[in-house]
Order: sequence, then C-alpha cells, then structure tokens
Amino acid sequence: MITIHFILNGQPVNVEVMATDMLLDVLRGTLHLTGTKKGCGKGECGACTVIMNGRAVNSCMVPVAKADGARIDTIDGLGDPDHLHPLQEAFIEAGAVQCGFCTPGMIMAAKALLDEYPDPSDDEIKEAIAGNYCRCTGYTKIIKAIHIAARMSNGKGGV
Amino acid sequence: MMKDYNCVGKPEGRLDGIPKVLGRAVFTTDVSLPGMLYGKILRSPHPHAKVISIDTAEALKYPGVKAVATSRNTSQVPFTTAGAMVFTGPQGRPTLDQHIFEDEVRYVGDEVAAIAAETEEAAEEALKLIKVQYEVLPAIYDPLDSVKPDAPDLHWSPFGKNVAGAVIEMKLCRDIEEGFSQCDEIIEETFKLPQIKQVQLETQSAVADFEADGQIRVVSTTQTPHCAQIQLARIFETPVSKVQVKNPPFIGGGFGVRIGLSAKAEPIAAALSKLTGRPVKVTYSRREDFIASDTRHGGYITVKLGARKDGHFIALSVISRLNGGAYCSFGTETCAVMGAMTMSVYSIPFRNYCGTCYYTDRTPAGAMRGFGNPQGMYVVDSAVDMMAEKLGIDPLQLRILNSVKPNDPTWINPYPCTTALIACMEKGAAEIGWKNRGKVNKPDDKKRIGYGMGIGTHGSNSFPASVDYSYAYAALQQDGSLQIATGVPDMGNGTSTTLPQVAAETMGISLNQVGFLFGDTESTPFNIGSHASRTMFSAGSAILDAVKKVRKQVIEYAVPLLESPAENLDIQNSKVFLKDNPDKFMMLPEIAWHAHIRDIQFLATGKSEPANLPPWHAHFAKVEVDMETGMVKVLKMVAAHDCGFAVNPKIVEGQIEGGVLMGIGNALTEELLVDENGVPQNDSIHKYMVAMASDTPEIIPILVNCDSPVGPFGAKGVGECGCIPTLAAVANAVCDATGVRFTELPMTPERVLERIRKAE
Amino acid sequence: MKCGYYTASTIEDVIARQRAHPGKSAVIAGGTDILLDIEEGKKNADLLIDVTQIPELNQIEEMGGRIRIGAAVTHAAAEKSSVIQRNARLLAEACRSVGSLQIRNIATLAGNVVSAQPAADAAVALTALDAEIEIAGQDGRTTIPILKAYKGVGKSAIDTSSQLVTAITFDALNKNQGSAFIRLEQRTALALPMLNVAAVTALNPDGKTFAWVRIVMAPVGAGPVRAFKAEKSLKDAPVTMDAIKAAAEEAASEANPRSSRLRGSREYRLEVLPVLVRRAVAAAAEEVPGHGLCLEKEAVRL
Repeated sequence: MITIHFILNGQPVNVEVMATDMLLDVLRGTLHLTGTKKGCGKGECGACTVIMNGRAVNSCMVPVAKADGARIDTIDGLGDPDHLHPLQEAFIEAGAVQCGFCTPGMIMAAKALLDEYPDPSDDEIKEAIAGNYCRCTGYTKIIKAIHIAARMSNGKGGV
Repeated sequence: MMKDYNCVGKPEGRLDGIPKVLGRAVFTTDVSLPGMLYGKILRSPHPHAKVISIDTAEALKYPGVKAVATSRNTSQVPFTTAGAMVFTGPQGRPTLDQHIFEDEVRYVGDEVAAIAAETEEAAEEALKLIKVQYEVLPAIYDPLDSVKPDAPDLHWSPFGKNVAGAVIEMKLCRDIEEGFSQCDEIIEETFKLPQIKQVQLETQSAVADFEADGQIRVVSTTQTPHCAQIQLARIFETPVSKVQVKNPPFIGGGFGVRIGLSAKAEPIAAALSKLTGRPVKVTYSRREDFIASDTRHGGYITVKLGARKDGHFIALSVISRLNGGAYCSFGTETCAVMGAMTMSVYSIPFRNYCGTCYYTDRTPAGAMRGFGNPQGMYVVDSAVDMMAEKLGIDPLQLRILNSVKPNDPTWINPYPCTTALIACMEKGAAEIGWKNRGKVNKPDDKKRIGYGMGIGTHGSNSFPASVDYSYAYAALQQDGSLQIATGVPDMGNGTSTTLPQVAAETMGISLNQVGFLFGDTESTPFNIGSHASRTMFSAGSAILDAVKKVRKQVIEYAVPLLESPAENLDIQNSKVFLKDNPDKFMMLPEIAWHAHIRDIQFLATGKSEPANLPPWHAHFAKVEVDMETGMVKVLKMVAAHDCGFAVNPKIVEGQIEGGVLMGIGNALTEELLVDENGVPQNDSIHKYMVAMASDTPEIIPILVNCDSPVGPFGAKGVGECGCIPTLAAVANAVCDATGVRFTELPMTPERVLERIRKAE
Repeated sequence: MKCGYYTASTIEDVIARQRAHPGKSAVIAGGTDILLDIEEGKKNADLLIDVTQIPELNQIEEMGGRIRIGAAVTHAAAEKSSVIQRNARLLAEACRSVGSLQIRNIATLAGNVVSAQPAADAAVALTALDAEIEIAGQDGRTTIPILKAYKGVGKSAIDTSSQLVTAITFDALNKNQGSAFIRLEQRTALALPMLNVAAVTALNPDGKTFAWVRIVMAPVGAGPVRAFKAEKSLKDAPVTMDAIKAAAEEAASEANPRSSRLRGSREYRLEVLPVLVRRAVAAAAEEVPGHGLCLEKEAVRL
C-alpha cells in the first residue's frame, strides 16, 4: 500500500491505495464518489471520464499512482443544485439527458473541451466526445447542449 | 385541433435532470449495503456440453469466499428470464426453459456456478479454482441447421425439433395463392439479418438481500419491477408479498435487455445471498453483458409481395425463421409482433404470416427495441421498393397509395386505426429533398448519393397479445401537492417527468407540485413495466384515471365551501374557482388542510383500460456510397412520427433521435459474430460497431399530431419507433445510390463492395 | 492487478530499476496497451516503471531539419504540436485517428511503436517518415530504423524489461514534399482500422516528376509494410494518375493481409488497398505547391 496525494475537485486528498488500483475504483470505492460511472472498465466507453491536469482521461485505465501530485476534477465537484455549471444547465435545457449514465463522463469531456476551446465547431465537439458512448440520445441533443453552454459562457474561456 | 395546455405538450425540463447532471442520480451499480458481498459468475467455455461434475472445494477455501453456488445447492425451479413468464395471456403458455445454473450448457457464456466473496478480486480469483468437467456435445449456430435431422436437440420442445415456443401463424385470408394469382407482378426474396445487441451503458446488475425472516429485497436494473418480483417469488418459492424489487431509482438504459429479469443478475444475487445470509451484488462485466444477456433476433425472413400493374398491392406473405439462441426468452412474442406489424402497414386483401423461432447454441435472443418490427419492415419495405422499381412507380407514391388510411379496418381489433401516416410521409419527403432522388449522380461519380424511405407502425402497449395493465394511485397531500405512484421505471425514457406532467395537467396544478413514486414494488401498485412503448399510453392512462378521481373528490368537497354546483367548478394553478365567477375561489392547500383537520384525505386508484392504438412513422435517409470501397455514410435522416400527441416534445424527439441512430447501426455496422467454436467475437464496445458521436449524421425528427380517441391527451407509443423504419430507409437509399439490392444486413463495406462488383 | 509501480525521474533511474529486477519489469507510459495486456494475461510484470514524468522524454523539438519526439509525448500533444503540423502533417492526422480523445491524452507514440500492433496508426505514419527509434538500455544508447522495431505480430524487438525508448526522430518534410494518411474504418472513433495507408511524396523541383515516394500499408503484415517495389516504380516517374494507379496496384501485390472476422476478409482488403494507396499518393502529391499537373480530385477523408 502507498499513500497518494492529489488535488480532487480543488481540495487536497490523501489516500492509501495499491499503486495499480485504477483511479476510477479509488474514486468510487475508497472515496465513495459514485458520480463517475463504470461502463466497461477498459477505456472503451468514456463513462468514467475525469479531467486530469486539464485533460479528459478514462479513469478506469489510469493507475492511481499516475494521479500522485495531479489535479483531478470529477462530476462530483462540478456545480450544485443552486449553482449549476453552464454545461449542466445546457444539458437539461437541450434535452441531452436520458438515462443519465453517460452524462457525468460526457459533461466532463465537454468541460475539458470548453476550457480549452470556448467556441467549438460541430466537428470539434464531435471529436472531443467521440470517446463517450451514449445509446439513448443519438448524440444530437448532446452536441446542441455543448453549443448552448458555449454561448452561455459567451465564448469566454475557463468556464 | 391543438388545445392549449398548461403542462402537457410542453418541452418541460426533466425532473431527474438535476441529479443526473450532478452525478448524484443513483443507479444499481452505485448501490452498496452494509456487509455486502460481491458475486461473480462462472460461465461455460463450450457452446454445447453436459456438466459432468463440479468441484468447488478449492474455491471455497480461497480467502474472502463466503459461498459457492451451483445447481446442486440452488433452486431448480424452471423459469425464463423474460417477462413472458408473467405476461403470457390465456391464449398461450410461456416456455420455461431456464434454470439459475444449467446442467446442460447451451452457449458460450451459459451460467454454471457463482461465487460470493468479500471483494470482487477474491471472487474472480476463486472462480478460477472451480473445476468443471464437461462432456462436449455438437453445436449449431444457424436456424437453418437447427431443423436438420442430424442437428442436436437443444431442448425438448412440444412444437417441433429445436422450435422455441409456439409457431405463429396468421392466416388473414382464405387462400393466399388465390391472391397471388391475381397479381401482375410478384416480388419474392429472402433476407438475412444479424443478431445485434442493445449495449445499454449500465450493465446488468442486482443487489439482493435474502433476509433472515424470509423476505427477499432486491435492487436491480429491471425494466419491470413487478414482473421481476413475481419471477423471483416463483424461483425461490416465496410468497410474492415477501419479495421486494426496486430500481434505485434510475436505470442506465434498457432497450429491452431487461424486460423481466436482468439476465440472471437478480436470481444469482439472491441465491448467493440465501447461501451467505448477507446482501450480494452481482454486476455483469461488459463482456458478460455482451455474451450472456439477450440479443435482438436475427435470422431469415422471406417475403412475397404481389401487385397489379396500377400499383395496388394484392397479396403479401411473410415467413420468418428466427435465430432464438439457446433459450426461448421472447421468441414467440417476437415472431408474433413481427407478424402483427408487417401485416398491418399496407391495405392488402390477401395476407399471410408464419413465424418460427429456433434454438441454436448462441447467446439467447430476446427483446430489443422494436421487437421483430424493425426486422420485418426492413424486409417488407425492401420488397415495396423492389416492386416500385418493377412497376416504374415512385416508391413514395406507391406507399401513399397502399398504406393504411384513417379508419381502415385493421385486422388487429379491437382498437381503431387513427393515422397521420400520409402527413408523415409528405413532411418527411419534403424535408429530405425527395424530389432530388434519381437526379443527383453523374455516371462516373465514384461517390454516389441515394435517397430511401421506410414506413411502419407499432403498438402503444402489448394488448391484446400479452397481459398488459397498469394500476396507479394518486393522493392529494395535506398541503395541496399531489402524490402519484405506479410501478414503471425510468430507464431514460422520461417517465419520471412525463407522467407527472399528465398528473399536473389533469389536477390543475404546476409540475413542481407533483411527487412521483415509481419503480418499486413495495410502494407502488402493479404495473407490467416499461416495454412495448406502453409507458405513457398505459401507465399514463392509469395515472390519468386516478388523478381524475381525486380531482372529482376535491371538487365535490368544494361544492358546499364555494356554494356552487360541481359543473361550475374548475381547478387551475392550484386554485379551485367558479367558472362563471373566477374571483370566487379557494386554494388547493386550503381545501386539503380543511379536509385533513376533518379526518379526510383525497385519494384514489386508477387503472388503464384495455386498449391499444397504433403509432405511425416514416423515415427518409440520404446516404453517400463510396463505390470503390463500399463505405456507406448516412448524410441525413428525417424521422416523421405520428405518436398522437407528444406530452413532452423534447423527450419524444430525444427518443426518436436515439432510435434512429440505433437503426442506422442495425443497417450498416452492427452484428454479433461467433467463430467455429461458438465463441462470441464481439464481446466489447471496441469490437462491436455501435455509433459514436463522430458518426452521427444530421437527424431531423418531425412530430405529427393526430387526434386519438384514447390515451392520455391522445398520446400514443413512441419509445421503440425510432428504430423501426430506419433499416428499410437506409437499405433503400443504398440501393438507390448503387442500383444494387442488399438482402443481408448489416451493409458492411465488404458486403456492399461485393454486391457492386457482382452487378458490374 | 498485483504489481509494483515506480515513477522514474530520469532515464538512468529507469535503467537502474530494470537492472534491479531483471526480466521482471516493464516500462509503462500511457498504459492503455500494457494494462490491458497484463489484465488479459498476455504480458507479465512484477514492476511497472512509469517514464512519463521524465522531463527529457516530454519534448517535441525541431533541430536542423530533424524532428525529435520524446517517448512520453502523447498522441494529443503530437496532434496539436505546431512543429508536427508544419513539418509532418500526416503524423498529426494519424495521431488524431487513434482511439478517442481520452486515450490520445494519455497514450504515447512510443507506446504505439512498442506495442508492435500491425496497424498502429502513429507507427504507420512514422514509417512513412522513415523514422528512427532511439533506445537506452543496460549497454548504453542505440538507434534503430522503425521497421527493425518489429519482430512479429505484437512482438517488439524492444525489450521493455531492460530497455526504454527515449525518442523518435525523423527528417522534417520540406516544401517539395507532401504527405497523406488514410484510414478505412467502420467507425470514426474507438475502432481499429480495416486498412491504413500513409504516403510521403517528394517531387522534383519542376513539379512534374516524383523524386521519391514512401508508401506504407497496414495491417497487411506483422508490422507496417513499406511498398518498396511500388516506391521504386515511382522514382522519377511522371506525376500522373496513370503512374500512381499502376504503383498502387504494385503496392497491393506487396501486401499480405489476413482475413479478419471483424475487419474485413483478405480478399476485400486486397481489393480496396490499391484504391487507398492511389488516393494517399495523389493527396500527398497534391500537397506540394505548384505540382504543375491537374490531378483528379481524390477524396482523402473516408
């Protein structure tokens, strides 16, 4: 067992883990943060997407040792019922939420995109979320939602 | 004429939206109970074998292991994981050909044993220590092989060699050959379809607690909690009233994969809990979900369509031989729905259908969105396009000529036929640019554009083919807010928003005044569950019925208070007022409290009436085919739907869009393959070609209103309809582009190129 | 998964660790391949040595016309790098086509080479760039041509229990050189290719003849396959569609694809391969400004 230190949703965290535990299992199991979902465990569906040092990654394929010293942002730290992030508002407004299982990972992938490209095109959006599988929506309203969120932020960066 | 409503017909934001975007919505895979163990399943590596012996001694000794379950120490009551066990009506008997663990395994993935341990890792390691001796038997994978005299008998069946469930015959005329003899042109062709997979994002999962007092409590991903309750009660020989099944409350998608039980997740979790005395969680890995939970039926469908020179269809025969996989599941029902739907789209005097589902040593096929209808309409509407070509008539005009018209008697009684199908076709054609068809390609074009269409119908529930009813209750709380309850889940289809919309509109209150209990057998009255596109139509009808009664009680109670006859009272915005003098009113909270302190609450139960109404749809596809590689790209899909009335247009659009993309996958990229040893080849999302966001074409849903005599506010079913006509639309478009007819799905680049070359 | 994990800070650190665990360690960069291999029992390691925090391995540099990509550089970083976009466009496109953004954010080009998969996209593009792989090991540093990194399907010549890749280098393309990368795929993300083809073309200054061409095809052999005979046929050949078509047919004859149940039969791949080679070479030639001849407009993005 080793102790890993990282910044989780803006707060410092220390956890005792096996180095080769995957970040997803540490988040959901050890830290009881079940917002991030497990859809396949192999990096093929994106349901487990978190943002690590500003980049969207599949947390099911990140050995937690890689998170040592990193900045990790998950859905659990994004918004609250009275202060939704523009992406969260936009997903509801556009009808981009159906079963909701892909939603946390999808929103984090979209956030990583908007943080870097505040006014993305359709193609840029599709490329950014191409690793986030959804079976319910056909992606159409998800793409709309990301445009709405971008507009809500007036194309300003760092939402 | 469109009435102006306060709440229904409006694109209200989903009530479950906030928890879901915050990641706070709870799914079965998020559930953890004190003392919970983890269950893992040992599966057959052989497509067909007898289990000679199982040695669990080593596995039991592994640190952390608390129990090993096999057929020796678990219930041997036969069942089917399919809800058919509970909703087969008086006209049939469900095929109960499954057990928790089989002694004869019939597909790679069939359940042999299971372990409950303190951690998932311990359970997985201990599984490797279970020693099973198999006697390998011959295996078959194709329904055409199932009927051969030397084929192994996979089950004893009263219906014929390897026939799973009753053969469905629909003789809708006296003599079909007489019909064909009257035709000027006849099209006859056989089509081959693949098994495909729902690939819902939350895998099959259940947490079961077999309590010391004999109660069984289960949290699971089932689409039908009450059915699952009855099935588990039967399997464990426990009174139904001692079994609780609930969704926690959300399900990560369904699309038919868990109508009834979530494959074997609930019974195995419960069996392990019974052995250990602790709660047990069973969550299928993605691989298990692919290989060991129900697929869509593939197989062979033969169509014969006859018409006169003037375009009128005279005779239609459809014969299906479906690949049912290792267990019957919904085999009979799928054959039946395919027949009912293919026979009901066009007005044809001579019609005949015969459907048979065959056992093979493959993953069992069962329910998947559309339930036989997408397969059937792909075939029928391909034949219609072939006929159009033969007769020299535009395929759109041919369909307008022959499709069922309003008030046409359909053979499926007793429900009437309201239809806006023509409007769907006309609007869809305009949006796709149908007039460009046949005019856009130049002879030397290496990339060719094609336009195609498909139409169809469905049901708004499964009446009268299956048991289909919903109960609901409604209660006005002491502060004037409304509590409603019914046993449907919300698996993404939006019931936890749209049913409250129905209730709010009916009661005359705002949406945020409605509380909804759903998906829990302990706190909701019986509902057959979410399938057959029935939730709004049937559960909505039950909710409407209950709320109407509560509303009536409130109005009658208010009569002496407002000194007005009941007919002159109305409720809107929580205000009970006189219609001819709105300034005279009492607020609902006031009335509710007034009653409460006099020992009265307003509450009622409601029930859905046996009825059904067909929704209608017309899809149009614009595709581009690369003639040198066979790659097909869908550029645009237009999906025009008559679902009567859209209670929440945004949710309905979302359902259609998702269904369309699912249908495109069915047409172009998705198929489940096995190798010569029956080993599934597509056991991960990486290897199974479901669409990702970068594959999405432009999808345009069009909602067409149609006055309907029944259903909440005239709503009809829509949940499955998005993927029903899509297969035909895409296939017909590819044919338009290439000049080649494709009789096998999916139209992979290799198949497309092969056919193009053959035609050259 | 039960193995140790060590995050190295220098190249020497890695080598020392490898020495301390002979034959029992493995280098991990992004981990997207090796973690799955260990999970599925295809590879074994008692210790994973993470190289991604070594500063020297994270650089992309251009020096004197030579591009150097550190072994820890991710596909996403390579795709976005202006150095690579300016000087080796096909590599940016190849990197972009891998997996998904989540995978590209963590998976490295070096890992793409070391995994020794026949159709690894970045490796295919790097082969067309005639890249070299710099390796550090117990015996010091060596450099090998990229094709020498492949011993067989999934078998790398680089032993990550005693060596590590430090960098990948290749000559930057100049203004007389164009490139193209084409991928035939059943899905635009998270799918292995049915075929991928990379082409780099160098035109003579008059723009009317090829100086040389490199054509790489995959998966049509154990690793990326150079179509040497086809390349030879285009040396000093006129820049015409006829010449390119003929070379494409020749290239296909140098390919030996297997039949894949999931990604196309051998027959299909052999039939389509000349089309892709033709399109790739034509697109690469068209990139060179003033190529002087009107080529048929070929679609590159499939």
